[in-house]
Amino acid sequence: MSVLKVDNIVKNYGDKRAVNKLSFEVQEGEIYGLLGANGAGKTTTMRMVLGLILPDEGDIRYNGKGYSKEQLSMLGYLPEERGMYPKLKVSDQIIYLAELRGMSRKDADKNLKYWLDRFQVPEYYNKKVEELSKGNQQKIQFIAAVIHKPRIVIMDEAFSGLDPVNVELLKSTVKELRDEGTSIVFSTHRMEHVEELCRNITIMHRSNPVLQGSIKDIKKKFPQERIIIASDGAIEGLDSVSGVKQVIRHEHGGYELKVDSPYAGQKILQHALAQGPITRFEIMEPTLNEIFIKTVGEHNE
Amino acid sequence: MNSLWTVMSFTMRTKLRNKAFVITTVVLAILLVVVGNLPTLLSKLDSDKATKVGYVQGVHDELIQGLTAFYAGQEKPEVQLIGGASEDALKETLEDGDIKGFVTFADNASVGFPDATYHAKSSLGSSTAQSLTVGLQVVKNQLVLKDLNPSEQQLSLLNATVTVNQEQVRFTNDAGKTPEEEGTAIGLTYVLLVLLFMAVMITGQLIATEITAEKSSRVMEIIVTSVSPLKQMFGKILGTFAVGILQMIVLVGALVLNLVQQNNLDALKDMGLDLGAIDPKLIAFAVFFYLTGFFLYATLFAAVGSIVSRTEDLGQAILPITMLTLAGFYIAIFGITHPESSVITICSYIPFFAPFLMFLRIGLTEPSVWEVLLSVGILLASIIVIGWISAKIYRTGVLMYGKRPSFKELIKAMKAYKV
Repeated sequence: MSVLKVDNIVKNYGDKRAVNKLSFEVQEGEIYGLLGANGAGKTTTMRMVLGLILPDEGDIRYNGKGYSKEQLSMLGYLPEERGMYPKLKVSDQIIYLAELRGMSRKDADKNLKYWLDRFQVPEYYNKKVEELSKGNQQKIQFIAAVIHKPRIVIMDEAFSGLDPVNVELLKSTVKELRDEGTSIVFSTHRMEHVEELCRNITIMHRSNPVLQGSIKDIKKKFPQERIIIASDGAIEGLDSVSGVKQVIRHEHGGYELKVDSPYAGQKILQHALAQGPITRFEIMEPTLNEIFIKTVGEHNE
Repeated sequence: MNSLWTVMSFTMRTKLRNKAFVITTVVLAILLVVVGNLPTLLSKLDSDKATKVGYVQGVHDELIQGLTAFYAGQEKPEVQLIGGASEDALKETLEDGDIKGFVTFADNASVGFPDATYHAKSSLGSSTAQSLTVGLQVVKNQLVLKDLNPSEQQLSLLNATVTVNQEQVRFTNDAGKTPEEEGTAIGLTYVLLVLLFMAVMITGQLIATEITAEKSSRVMEIIVTSVSPLKQMFGKILGTFAVGILQMIVLVGALVLNLVQQNNLDALKDMGLDLGAIDPKLIAFAVFFYLTGFFLYATLFAAVGSIVSRTEDLGQAILPITMLTLAGFYIAIFGITHPESSVITICSYIPFFAPFLMFLRIGLTEPSVWEVLLSVGILLASIIVIGWISAKIYRTGVLMYGKRPSFKELIKAMKAYKV
């Protein structure tokens, strides 16, 4: 049984439809990617999952049960816009938020110390949030979302505004949570994070789910249309090979070719080998980034 | 643990740890200690020493003698007369500060009694001039009477003052209030009205500011996913209420502890205020109207705080409520002198003004029982209705960001959120 089951939910704001017939399921220990351009309906969907607003139609089930007060304590939320009490001590507000989720003060304090140690910042316990850098505030925010050991965590733009070191740190923590069996709904604009973390995704566009399924299956649906080729010297006349649509010359050597089918690759390779030795040749599978732009762009027209 | 209690205790804890809040309370308390001792200080300043008033020697000796005799007859002489050689000499003495002023006389043939002029550095609000008027009136009477040669009996009749006693009519069986009780009631009503107004304004604005701050710092998004907005709103209101009460106890305590010192009580009695004459019922009503007024306005402030996204916009948004409290307060201040006015009577049924005005009427007039019950009934009903509407606005408002929504947008959002 899936931990979170969203079934055909619809939400209207006045005469504008914010979410149109969206369904997805998240299993235990799975990170589910919810993608879409700004204003596509991601935040509304997350707010419905969090029980802040009710869907007009459809149903959301948590472990097979409907939304109730008891579900609140098993939900964790990392909002897109980071928010903490700037003038309060880290310990005061994290313990308060944990208490609101039904934890005892003692347990909350213990967990907070564990997490601060985990992020190697135990000295923040008595610091005010406004004294911390943005990245460190983000860590505190993350702790606030997971301190009560939620079964389902909603993460809206979890890694935005972080330096690469901290992104890695949080990413590994997210993976750890997943391995412990937490189900995570994850939204981001950074497609490489989705490719790394998510098993299944939904791409939303203008309130509609336009692409759903596992990343593997989705990629199979999109043809391999990109070829990377490089040699020590220049390769002439690549754009004259049949099937080549576009040639992009990279500054640090090598060419990126857009082709109409993967079979054009063989001809390109032969053409290039005739001019000298080849150092690199690869038929690329489409990146999620390309798929996203293609999907959202297509529907834009 | 109950999340309502969690929100409440958190609100109280942060407030009590807030340095600005603690400092404000301490400063206000010190101020009130001073105010509490004001009666003694005032009576000390109103020193028993007579005001020194100069006169030109050798002119109108008859009047001066009469005045001297008049002031000598007073228990505490208000004026001490000091002779000077000439007007110019007196002016110099005045400049040196040895006298407070001087009096000159000019013959007035048509009245047959000289006109007096009191010269002082300031011509405003001189009690000395009044005292001189009274004194000269007596002197004039004596001069005229001397010629008439009246009997002892006629003299004492003439000198006896006419008394006009005031008594408030009560329609119940109790006796009406004496002027002393009346004065105490007015004073007490005034003080309690100011306290009521301040308490409602300060705590109300605190609530609105905190909610907007939570919204603008986006903590709100996490909080509303952890606890139902209704519990959060009432937790916040109750927490602030508890802190407000605590602050009030400290402040009123500082005032009352000093006022009940014997020297202050005596001084107050001299001013015609008797703390012993305070009706405990009035205090009970004050507490009741404080509670109702607080909850009525607190829910309104909370609702407004919830629809504003940025602290900068808050002042503008709560202006209508501030105006409402101000209106209630000023109508009440006006009503202290006209408690029977029909404006006051009508307004005391309007829930937003009722906490101020019904309290005023109970303190100063004798509204019948049904009037009090009607006003309180309307007030309680509107607290429930406004609390309910505010909770709905709050539920919607906390999730709306961007510019302050219009009324129409708010209703639309309410429908969309199904609250």
